[in-house]
Amino acid sequence: MTDLSVSVSSASGPAPQVPLPEAAPKVTARGLNFYYGEHHALKNINLTLGTNRVTAFIGPSGCGKSTLLRIFNRMYDLYPGQRATGQLLLDQTNILDPKLDLNLLRARVGMVFQKPTPFPMTIYENIAFGIRLYEKISKSEMDGRVEKALRGGALWNEVKDKLNASGLSLSGGQQQRLCIARTVAVRPEVILFDEPCSALDPISTAKIEELIQELAEDYTIAIVTHNMQQAARVSDKTAFMYLGELIEFDDTNKIFTSPSDRRTQDYITGRFG
Amino acid sequence: MAVESDVMEAAGPYDRARALSAFKLGDITFYWITRACAISVLLILGGIIISLIVGAWPAMREYGAAFLWTQRWAPSADPPVLGALGPIYGTLITSVIAMMIAIPVGLGIAVFLTEICPLWLRRPIGLAVELLAGIPSIIYGMWGFFVLGPFLANTFQPFMISIFDGVPVLGAIFAGPPSYLSLFNASLILAIMVLPFITSISVDVFKTVPPVLKEAAYGVGCTTWEVVRNVVIPYTRVGVIGGIMLALGRALGETMAVTFIIGNSFKIQSSIFAPGTTISAAIASEFAESDGLHQSGLILLGLLLFVLTFFVLAAARLMLMRLEKKAGN
Repeated sequence: MTDLSVSVSSASGPAPQVPLPEAAPKVTARGLNFYYGEHHALKNINLTLGTNRVTAFIGPSGCGKSTLLRIFNRMYDLYPGQRATGQLLLDQTNILDPKLDLNLLRARVGMVFQKPTPFPMTIYENIAFGIRLYEKISKSEMDGRVEKALRGGALWNEVKDKLNASGLSLSGGQQQRLCIARTVAVRPEVILFDEPCSALDPISTAKIEELIQELAEDYTIAIVTHNMQQAARVSDKTAFMYLGELIEFDDTNKIFTSPSDRRTQDYITGRFG
Repeated sequence: MAVESDVMEAAGPYDRARALSAFKLGDITFYWITRACAISVLLILGGIIISLIVGAWPAMREYGAAFLWTQRWAPSADPPVLGALGPIYGTLITSVIAMMIAIPVGLGIAVFLTEICPLWLRRPIGLAVELLAGIPSIIYGMWGFFVLGPFLANTFQPFMISIFDGVPVLGAIFAGPPSYLSLFNASLILAIMVLPFITSISVDVFKTVPPVLKEAAYGVGCTTWEVVRNVVIPYTRVGVIGGIMLALGRALGETMAVTFIIGNSFKIQSSIFAPGTTISAAIASEFAESDGLHQSGLILLGLLLFVLTFFVLAAARLMLMRLEKKAGN
């Protein structure tokens, strides 16, 4: 529990700053722009998510961080009038290609939302559902996959005796971990977290933060958060966004100790936002 | 000023108490008015049931339970022979065929309107569905008589016969001489009439699915069909079934349009292109000229329709409870 009270300054500490070694790029954005109808919501974004790195996106409300996340799996495609221009690559695949198979893209880039979104079915089915979309496997194999996913979501011990209960019967924090397990079950390469803890209590939040760090061993992770301590705790890299622009993108340690932009400094010290 | 405020203070508490007691009286009146309204529903329902039973009593005593499985309907014979099997059969068959057509089409329209339809087409289609609900049933009857009937008899039935002739069960279902008035004609009209119920209720409940839940389903890689099938419909199950039951209730009891086009034949035939009758059509076409045991028999038919509708609604409730249990809690 102590890590919940870690403040920005003590998270950085007086330790000498060693830049993180470069990770192989997983997602690369070059000159990325986004429009809600006429509104120019993201302006010329350039950044790279390193493989198996946790990248945090911070910034005041409306700065475009969630919007950016929703481009990574083309979620914006569901709504008419929203469009993206520029270049966005997942390994060598062009994410913005209009002919891209969106279902396959979303299998490679999973997403966890602000509010827990269990499907209206049993806990077991919530996990098996996603797997069944892509693979035909036997019942026993499915049982194994479901258990593995629930263990991956740090939920197995709490639900192993009630796999046939409704997903909606779980507490908020458990529901969110169920959603993470569901995302992991499909075996994605990238997982996007859109403020995953904003609806949760501190203990659930701590569990999910711990989980995110474990997941980073196998997945590339992007997380949007309003909680700067959270960004400092869980991420390797941090991107600060303001009014649709990427102001600063660097190692988390550097962003929180010696940001190079004045606006970043003002934001992380709480002068606005 | 000082004098005035003294007066105000002196008057204040007294006026307040009086105002409150006036409100109290209003509260009590309001309580009794709403209570009387609610109780009147029970009284009316009870009154209808009692008068139906009283009216049907002579026929019940005369025919007993055999009324349910006697096919012959001969009110002018001496003594009159009355059996409800034909109307019951016709009511159930037309309703079942109507629902088999209206449920998939109605849900299809609802899914299209909420999930797939481009914005500019939404209003025209939604409006058309609402207008469909506003057409008086006698107009559906006339349309079925003059347009749909000839088409079914001259084009559709020969086509079905040409396909299924000789096939054991299906052959019999579509066989028979062409007739403008038939069970199938009535079923089609019923399907069109109940379609708006299913569609508009489904559209309303589909809209209550949280967008983030649908996004989550799309997020694990579902196609639109998979999202509808696994998230939208399970989430809105109760509302959709409610709409279907409302539609079924209307199909069971619909009178005017059906009386026009069903042919009023009490004989049960295997072909759905043959004339038949329903409970409500039988009552509507014969009640004015009936008396004595014949009239009592018709009232007994009405009581049966009442019971039938009640059982359908009860079965729907039971099914919902089962579904809920299956979904966990």
